[in-house]
Amino acid sequence: MSLKPHASLLLILNYTQLTKLVLVHRQHAVKSIVSAGLNMRVQELILKLQNYWAERGCLVGQPYDIEKGAGTMNPLTFFGALGTKPWNVGYVEPSRRPGDGRYGENPFRVYKHLQFQVILKPSPAKVQDMYIDSLEALGVDMTAHDLRFEEDNWESPTLGAWGVGWQVVLDGMEISQFTYFQQVAGSDCRPVSAELTYGIERICMFLSGIDNMFDLIWGNVRTDQGLFPVSYGEVRRREEFELSAYSFEHADLDLHKYLFNAYEKEGWRLVGDLGHYLSAYEQALKMSHTFNVLDARGAVSTTERPGIIKRVRDLACACAKVYLELEADKTSTEA
Amino acid sequence: MTDTKTLLLELHCEEIPARFLKPLSCEFADAFVSFAAEQKLGAPTVQAIFSPRKLAWRAKGLLTAQSDRHETQVGPPRRVCVDESGNPTIQGRKFAEKWGVDFSAVRFERPEGKKEPCAIAEILKPGRSAVEIFSDSLPKLISGLHVPKAMRWGNSSYEFVRPIRSILCVFGSDVVPFTVDGVESGNTTWGHRLYHRHSQSPLVVDSPEKYEAVLKDGGVIASFDERKRAIAEQLDAKALETGGRPVADEELLDTLALIVEWPTVLRGGFPAEFMDLPKEVLVTSLKEHQKAFCVEKPDSADLLPYFLSIANRPDDPSGLVAAGNEWVLKARLYDARFFFAEDQRSHLSELAPKLDALTFHRELGSYAEKARRISTIAQALAARLKLDAAQAKTAAELCKADLVTLMVGEFPELQGIMGGYYLRLKGAPEPVCAAVAEHYQPMSNDAPLPNSRLGAVLAIADKLDTLAGCFAIGQIPSGSKDPLALRRAGMGVTRIIWEKGLDISINTLIDLGLETIAEKVKNPPKDTKQALTAFFKDRAAYQLELSNIPASVRNSALAAGWMDLNDLKARCEALSAFAEDQRFTSLAQSAKRIGNILKDEEPLQSFSPDLLEQPEEKALAQRLNAIESAADYAALLPLLADLAQPLEDFFNAVMVKCENPDLRNARMALLNRLRKAFMRAADFSLWRD
Repeated sequence: MSLKPHASLLLILNYTQLTKLVLVHRQHAVKSIVSAGLNMRVQELILKLQNYWAERGCLVGQPYDIEKGAGTMNPLTFFGALGTKPWNVGYVEPSRRPGDGRYGENPFRVYKHLQFQVILKPSPAKVQDMYIDSLEALGVDMTAHDLRFEEDNWESPTLGAWGVGWQVVLDGMEISQFTYFQQVAGSDCRPVSAELTYGIERICMFLSGIDNMFDLIWGNVRTDQGLFPVSYGEVRRREEFELSAYSFEHADLDLHKYLFNAYEKEGWRLVGDLGHYLSAYEQALKMSHTFNVLDARGAVSTTERPGIIKRVRDLACACAKVYLELEADKTSTEA
Repeated sequence: MTDTKTLLLELHCEEIPARFLKPLSCEFADAFVSFAAEQKLGAPTVQAIFSPRKLAWRAKGLLTAQSDRHETQVGPPRRVCVDESGNPTIQGRKFAEKWGVDFSAVRFERPEGKKEPCAIAEILKPGRSAVEIFSDSLPKLISGLHVPKAMRWGNSSYEFVRPIRSILCVFGSDVVPFTVDGVESGNTTWGHRLYHRHSQSPLVVDSPEKYEAVLKDGGVIASFDERKRAIAEQLDAKALETGGRPVADEELLDTLALIVEWPTVLRGGFPAEFMDLPKEVLVTSLKEHQKAFCVEKPDSADLLPYFLSIANRPDDPSGLVAAGNEWVLKARLYDARFFFAEDQRSHLSELAPKLDALTFHRELGSYAEKARRISTIAQALAARLKLDAAQAKTAAELCKADLVTLMVGEFPELQGIMGGYYLRLKGAPEPVCAAVAEHYQPMSNDAPLPNSRLGAVLAIADKLDTLAGCFAIGQIPSGSKDPLALRRAGMGVTRIIWEKGLDISINTLIDLGLETIAEKVKNPPKDTKQALTAFFKDRAAYQLELSNIPASVRNSALAAGWMDLNDLKARCEALSAFAEDQRFTSLAQSAKRIGNILKDEEPLQSFSPDLLEQPEEKALAQRLNAIESAADYAALLPLLADLAQPLEDFFNAVMVKCENPDLRNARMALLNRLRKAFMRAADFSLWRD
């Protein structure tokens, strides 16, 4: 049988796993089955991923301080994936999906979740192994788990970007998105970047066997008086409630419609008149989020949708074009 | 006896999408067979072998080298090659040199098509070795594959379905050396992903026959069929442990056999609280999210609270994989239950107004508009079929409302089904619930039809509206282009009427559909009607094929009228009994003759039998009455069969277009009446042997 070489190893690990199972049950009184049997805190997961990728030659980036729907929209990825310059970066990105808001009441869906995003350009030959190693670095024992790469291609019409790849499935749970970028802003990616996206909350819940995202432990606060575990809910639930209420009930639709147009105008002024691609790109990001707010309210009909998305894409593509021209100038000056 | 050997080629890639794996692998194997034939390397038998990360094939019976070939090379004329004293000239020597022969071996003969003797060199062209040919050409064969959704990776511009990470290519025990995108071929490959986590050394395949065995040692079942069989057997065994059987799903079974290297079926349970969810929700949620199977009771369609998931490894040593799958499933079902509860907070009639904002088609308006049109059509049909028109109206107005529910948003394939459940939960009349639940049926040519009469009406109304609308704006399917699956919709309408025996003619339907969509019509109504009629006629023809009506019958039956499908069905069934009957072949000959005779004529409708002179025509006239008054096709067809011989006799004996105008008119009228009588059943001139 195939996994025989590790049989002796497995026995030892089984024992460790079992002890961990028992421990977790005692510590957090978790009612359900504990899947991976790890007691993983949110901040620990982030730190481990940052360390892991930093050690493998990635810059540790920071979230970009404008609302966005996915980590891909961070300029570190959008512009990083363009052009020929080698580029490795990993960072956490809070991703806002107004339509997914559940007032902090749904244990699995939230308005804002955390993604850990890695870009490797060009994609290394051993990128899949590097990814699996990262799971081991998180404490997932690959001799005891099931891992599948199932076809899942990615497309972002607002960024004019698409790629092919997989969703990575661990014991039946989709834990990551794995994409080879083929195009960004309508232009071919040469070289091709690999993008790995980890869903922080999901992975953390899965690894610690906790059924409600808000019960996750973010970390421990240590004071002179002792150790205070702080839950994900304590950090974020109120935010979820207010932001869900905002996107579904209180957002001023006329204001958002106005803002969408205003950001667009501002963006074109910046990129068109001044050739400033980054400040213009910020306007595109704002347009995208404004659109998402309108969409969550059902204020965008299915017929209007493609046209609105195209307006965001056009601006983003214009920014990319200026960026690539400047990069080309730089290269020729250096040469 | 020439030596033959076996060639094995494997491209070891990152996970290849399930949908491409089999076709690509087979195309690859086929391409090699053609290549081997072109290269005169024999006629190998090739077997495509594919698993999630491996496109491979093994070709048996390949020659180890091309055979040597004798070639004749023709050079310049003798006078140019040989001087007056019979010695070789410079040109003569050059010719010999060019082909590597001694000048003394050059002959001079007059080749065909030339006027004078020329230099001829016989040369032996040695055949190339197979390994050399493979080395040269396999990379081209690989890059020539038709790869759908090709991708690039890393720094290279090479395109393939997924990155190629290693290449195994052995011919007998020899490595065939070549390089594809920087990857060198060898006699090694890699096994199961997790197996090789800690093993740095690859698996060695030193002979093509050992491929499967070596992979098995490496944790990969190479054969698709073997993986599929293993899954099916384990599913049955695991389901049996729970006292049930797996809910069959051939498509899911295939997919799984394409995405796992070594399948193990794991049993999981889900809490009883989720058993309140509709069966379709559980089955769909498990299938779509988890690629897992539900388990049903052995003697009914009821579900047991178990599921079967498939792991990509040979075991689950610590039970963590099964536990993980259970955990994830609970999260998924929690979501489904949330949707189910949320959706029930409003009645579908409260959701229906949201359809205003949901576009059905850019030019045909929103789903709200569509629902209103469906309602108009459904009420008209219900009145015709003596069904409750008020219920038809309610069902039509609500049938699309589940499109804005959370559950259908998550699982679009549950459209209709959820509407049925939600209405039932609010106590709507059962015929309305059933009609809404069934109105997307049939989903394919062999899928079930709506069970209820009202469901059938609603299903027809929905499809008819789509068809009439699309034809009215010029969206007509052509060739392989049918993005809106209009042919499927058309077949749905035809099948429902045909199999349910509904008393509605296609003509009535077309008028009703076009009248309802009138305000959206762009093309001239007459053209639209003509196109739609032709479209339905094609569907009717296909319906005859689906119903196994013999080919000899189809065209002749259709030509005698097809808009009333029930009549068409009755005729076809009656005619089928005579499909092989020689008398009908004779009748067909006569029908053609009648057609020719009456062409461009305006025969009278009646005639006096007394005018007829010959016994053969009198015999026909005597039979006419019985034929014309036959009550049904069962009575008519035997009479027509018996008419074959008398008709033949008639044509042998009687000259229809005779001199006497009265007699001639009488004969033509007789034939005309016969033709009309035939046409009640079929246009026999189109009857085929």
